[in-house]
Amino acid sequence: MDADIIGFGSIFARAFVLFWPVWAALAVVMGVSFAMRRRLGLYGQVYDSWLGIVGLFLVLFWVFTALFADVIAPFDAVEGVYSGMKKAVPGTPVASDSAPYDYFLFGGDNLARDVFSRMVEGSQTVLAIAPAATIFAFMVGITLGLPAGFYGGRTDTVLTFLANLVLAFPVILLFYLLVTPGIRETPIPTAMAAVLFLIPIVFFVMFFYSRYATRPDVLYIQLACVIVLGGWLYSGLAFNLDPLGIVGMDPNTLNIFVSVVFVNSPTVFRIVRGLTLDIKTRDYVAAAQTRGERPWYIMLWEILPNARGPLIVDLCLRIGYTTILLGTLGFFGLGVSPESPDWGLSINEGRKLWRSVEHIALVPALALMSLVLGLNLLADALREQSLKD
Amino acid sequence: MTDTYDGPILEIENLSISFFTRAGEIPAVMDFSCTVQPGEAMGLVGESGCGKSTVALGVMQDLGKNGAIVGGSIKFKGRDLNDMSDEELRQIRGSEIAMIYQEPMASLNPAMKIGRQLMEVPMIHEGMSEKDAYQQALEVVTAVRLPDPERMLKSYPHQLSGGQQQRIVIAMALMSKPSLLILDEPTTALDVTVEAGIVDLVKDLGKQYGTSMLFISHNLGLVLDTCDRLCVMYSGEAVETGSIKDVFDKMRHPYTQGLFRSIPLPGADKNARPLVSIPGNFPLPHERPPGCNFGPRCSYFQEGRCDAADIPMSAIPGNDRHDSRCLRIDEIDWAAQLPRREDAGEATSGDVVIKVDGLKKYYEVAANAMFGGGETRVVKANETVSFEARESETLAIVGESGCGKSTLAKVLLGLETATDGESTLGNADIANVPIEERDRRTIADIQMVFQNPFDTLNPSHTIGSQIIRVLEKFGVGSTVAEREERMLELLDLVKLPRAFAKRKPRQLSGGQKQRIGIARAFAGTPKVVVADEPVSALDVSVQAAVTDLLMEIQRENRTTMLFISHDLSIVRYLSDRVLVMYLGHVVEMGTTDQVFAPPYHPYTEALLSAVPIADTSVEKKRIVLDGDIPSAMDPPSGCPFQTRCPRKSSVPGNLCEAEVPPMRTLAGGHQVKCHLSDEVLAEMEPVIQVHAAE
Repeated sequence: MDADIIGFGSIFARAFVLFWPVWAALAVVMGVSFAMRRRLGLYGQVYDSWLGIVGLFLVLFWVFTALFADVIAPFDAVEGVYSGMKKAVPGTPVASDSAPYDYFLFGGDNLARDVFSRMVEGSQTVLAIAPAATIFAFMVGITLGLPAGFYGGRTDTVLTFLANLVLAFPVILLFYLLVTPGIRETPIPTAMAAVLFLIPIVFFVMFFYSRYATRPDVLYIQLACVIVLGGWLYSGLAFNLDPLGIVGMDPNTLNIFVSVVFVNSPTVFRIVRGLTLDIKTRDYVAAAQTRGERPWYIMLWEILPNARGPLIVDLCLRIGYTTILLGTLGFFGLGVSPESPDWGLSINEGRKLWRSVEHIALVPALALMSLVLGLNLLADALREQSLKD
Repeated sequence: MTDTYDGPILEIENLSISFFTRAGEIPAVMDFSCTVQPGEAMGLVGESGCGKSTVALGVMQDLGKNGAIVGGSIKFKGRDLNDMSDEELRQIRGSEIAMIYQEPMASLNPAMKIGRQLMEVPMIHEGMSEKDAYQQALEVVTAVRLPDPERMLKSYPHQLSGGQQQRIVIAMALMSKPSLLILDEPTTALDVTVEAGIVDLVKDLGKQYGTSMLFISHNLGLVLDTCDRLCVMYSGEAVETGSIKDVFDKMRHPYTQGLFRSIPLPGADKNARPLVSIPGNFPLPHERPPGCNFGPRCSYFQEGRCDAADIPMSAIPGNDRHDSRCLRIDEIDWAAQLPRREDAGEATSGDVVIKVDGLKKYYEVAANAMFGGGETRVVKANETVSFEARESETLAIVGESGCGKSTLAKVLLGLETATDGESTLGNADIANVPIEERDRRTIADIQMVFQNPFDTLNPSHTIGSQIIRVLEKFGVGSTVAEREERMLELLDLVKLPRAFAKRKPRQLSGGQKQRIGIARAFAGTPKVVVADEPVSALDVSVQAAVTDLLMEIQRENRTTMLFISHDLSIVRYLSDRVLVMYLGHVVEMGTTDQVFAPPYHPYTEALLSAVPIADTSVEKKRIVLDGDIPSAMDPPSGCPFQTRCPRKSSVPGNLCEAEVPPMRTLAGGHQVKCHLSDEVLAEMEPVIQVHAAE
C-alpha cells in the first residue's frame, strides 16, 4: 500500500475528470441548443427558465453517462473484485498492480466491487428501460384512450372498467406475480408482450392510413416502412426471434418491460380519455365530421396533436415514476439478476450494511434521486411553457 | 359621513396604466380622463383589447402583480385612490364601489347559499346583525324582481338560471348601497330577451338608488339604452366622449363614425346603405403607430400631420363636455352621406334546394347513464320543423339559446339523424342518413361555417394543409399541385394574402380565422351553407367585412344560405326570409318584410323590442318578458311561449295552456303559430319606428 485514502476534495475532482465524455457531450448539446433555442419549438423554450435548464442538465447528464458508461467506469461492475476492498470507504486506493484505476472513488461494496463503477453502469439499465417502457405505455394508453373518449358509451364503459381493474390491483403484488418463475414459464408474459407490442404497430398503421388514404402513392411507402420496421422490432422484442439477431430482450428484461407498460398504460389511458372528452367538443372536430372524416382520422390528426402539451409533460413525469418503480423492483430483487449493478438492487444491498457503512446505499440512492429530480424539473418547465401558448 | 360630498363621484385624470411583462412595458391605457357625476351613468365603449376593462380594474385598484398605474389620478369622491392604503381600499371596495362582471356564475361562490353570500356584505362592512342582514337581503332580492325571494335566498347558485344569477350579482352589489357601480359587460353572456330585463332593472335601480354607474360594453345599442354619457375607447385611448345625443348624432371622431357605419341599423339595406367595415386590424399594444392610433385605418388620414405627434383631446364648441381626439374635427364633412353601392342586382332565387318537412328531433336523457336506472326523459329539441329554401336565397333562423336551431343544423349536416320527418337536399334524403353513409357529393353540398373563430380551425395544422385536406376529402383536383393551386385561389376568394397558407391559426386574428372557415365551407362548391352565428364572436368593426364577404361569395356561387343568428339587426340586413324558433317550435316564418312588420307572433314582437339599436332616431315599444326560457327537458303544456307571453290574456279560456296552436298562414304566405284572433293580430303596431332625422 503506497497510497493513503484520499479526501473528498480529490474524490470529486477525480470523478469529475472521469466524467469527461459527459461534460464534452453536454457542452456541445446544450450549447448548440441554447444558441438555437428560438427555432427549436417547445424543446427550445425549456432554456427560457433556470429550472428547465437545471432539469435538462440532470437528465442529459445521466443519459450521456449511460451512453459512455463503458468509457467512464474504471472497473468492471460485476467482475471487478479486488482483495481487501470489501466495504472500503470512499477514496481507498486499490492494492493491485493490474487494477485499471488507482482508487475506489466511492468506496467498495460488500463483494469488494467499485461503487462508482456500479453507479455508472447501473444508469444503463434504468435509462434503457424507463423511457422505452413509458413510451410504449403511452402508445397503448393513447390507442385505447382516444376511442374511449371519442365514442363514449359502451366502448368507454368497458375500457374504463378494465383500466380501473388494473389500477385497483396492488402494483407490487402484480409484479411479484408477473416475474415469479412459476408465471414466467407459462406463456403469459410472452402473450402479454405479443399484445402490448402489437398496439404501437396498429397505432402507426392507423395513423398513416387515416391521413393518406386519399393519396395512395404516399400511403403505400409509409405502410411498407411501418410494417417492415415494426415487424422486425416486434419479432425481436416480443418473441426474441429477430431474423437478423440484432434486436432482442432477455426474458428478465422483457418481464419488467411488459409489467411496467401494463401498470402504466391505464393511467395514461385515463389522461388521454379526459383530454379527448374535452377536445372533441371543439368546432374543428365538428368541422372535420361535417366534411365526412372517419373517426380514426379525427382522433389521431385532429384531437391527438392538440393534446400533446399535457401528454409531453406527463411523459416526463412518468419516466421519473417509472425510474422509481424500476428502483423499487430492483430493491425487491424482482426481474434483475442478483449480480447486476441496478440502482434499486444496490440500494437494497447497501441497506443491509447501513449500520457500518453508508456509502453503498447512499450513492445509488442519490443517483436515482438526481435523475428523477431532473425529470420533474423538466416536466415543470415544460408545463409552464406549454401553458403560455 | 360622506354624504356632505357633492362633487363628482369619480374623476379620472390623464390615467395611464401599463402591464410589465418579460417583453417589457405594455401600455394598456394611455391618457384617459373621464368624470362621473352623482346619479350619472357613463358608458365605456370599445372593441376587445381597447383597454375598457383595464380602466375598470384601475378604478378598483386591482391590476394584479404585473399591472401598475404609471401616471394620472383616479379620484373617488375627491380622494385619490392611488394614495390609499390597502386597508382603506378594502373599506371602499364592495361597500362604496361595487363591480359586476360578465360571467355571473364566476362571481358567485358555488358552495354557499345565495342568502349567506348576500348577508356577508353588510355583516363585513357595517357589522350588521344577522337578522338585519337577512331582512336587507330579502329587500334587495325583491328589488331585483326575482320571484319568491325567500326560496331564492335558500338556493345555491347552480340552481338558478343565468339571468337569475346575474340579478343576484346585481343584488349583491346593491347590498352595500354603493355610490358607484361598475358593470363590465353584464349582459353579454345572456340571451336578448333576458338581457332586456336586466337592462331595464339596471336603469330603474340607477334612478331609485341614485347610484352612479360605469357601464362597460361593446354594444352601442345597449349603451344608448342605459347611459347618459359615453366614452369611446380605441387602442388604450379615449377617442371621443360626450353625451349620448352628441356622440350618436354629431360624432366627431372617424373611429366613432366607422363603428356606427359598420353596425346594421334598421335603415341599413344590403344594397342601398351597405355596411362599411373599418379597414385593417386593431393594432397590438406594442405595435401602436406614432401619432393617432387610429391613423393607419382612418380614411381621413393625412401624412405628416396625423402621425407627427400624440394627439390631445380637444373640446367641441357648442356641445356639453363633448371632446374628441382628432386633429381634423373642423375639416371633415361629418354629414357626408356614404356613396350608394352599385346595385348588385337583386339575386333571383331559383328552384327549391333544401326542403324540410315535419322534422322532429328528440333526445333521450337517462337519469343515470351507467346503470340505466330511473326514468328516461325526453328532450324535444325540434318539434315539427318545416321549411324550404331556394337556390341563392338566404333563410335566417332566429332564436335564443336552447331554441333548437343548432340541433336543426346538426340534423341537416348529418351529425344527428332525425327522430321523425323528412328532409331532402336536391333529390337526396338527408334527414335519416348520418354523415358516414352520405356520399361525397352530398357531404360537399351542405357545409357549415362555425360560430367561434378561435375554435373553428385546428391549432396544430397550418392553414394551407387544413384547406387542402378539405379539397382531398371532396375530391377536388387530382394532383397535389392542383389542390395547392385551388387552395391559394380560395385564399384569394376570401381576400387573404397567399402567404397565410404557411401560417398556423394562432397567428391570425379572429376575423381572419373566420374567413378561413368560410373558405373551407365553400371549398367543395356547396349548394347549401349553414352559417351558425358566423360573426357574433367578432368585433363590431370586423363583423361587417366578414358578413359582406359571406354574402358576396354566396351571390356569386348562387348558394343557399341558412343563417342562424340571434341578432335581428343583422338578420334584417342580409336575409330574404326569416324563420323564428322558440323551444324547438317554428313560431313564425315569412319574408323579412313580413316578419319585421306587424302582425307579429308575440315572441317575435318581444324579441324585436329587446334588441338594442344604436340609433337615437329609433323609437321602440318596450316589451320586457318575464322570467327565463323554460327548459326543453320540461316544456310547458300547450303553446311553448305561453309561460312568458304578454298577450296570453287576449286569448279566451285556457286555450294557450291546453293546445299547441296550429301553423296559420296569413296574407302572402306569412306563417304564424299562435292562437291570437285575426282582429288582435291586425291591431298590432310596429315595434320599431324610425323618426325622420331632425
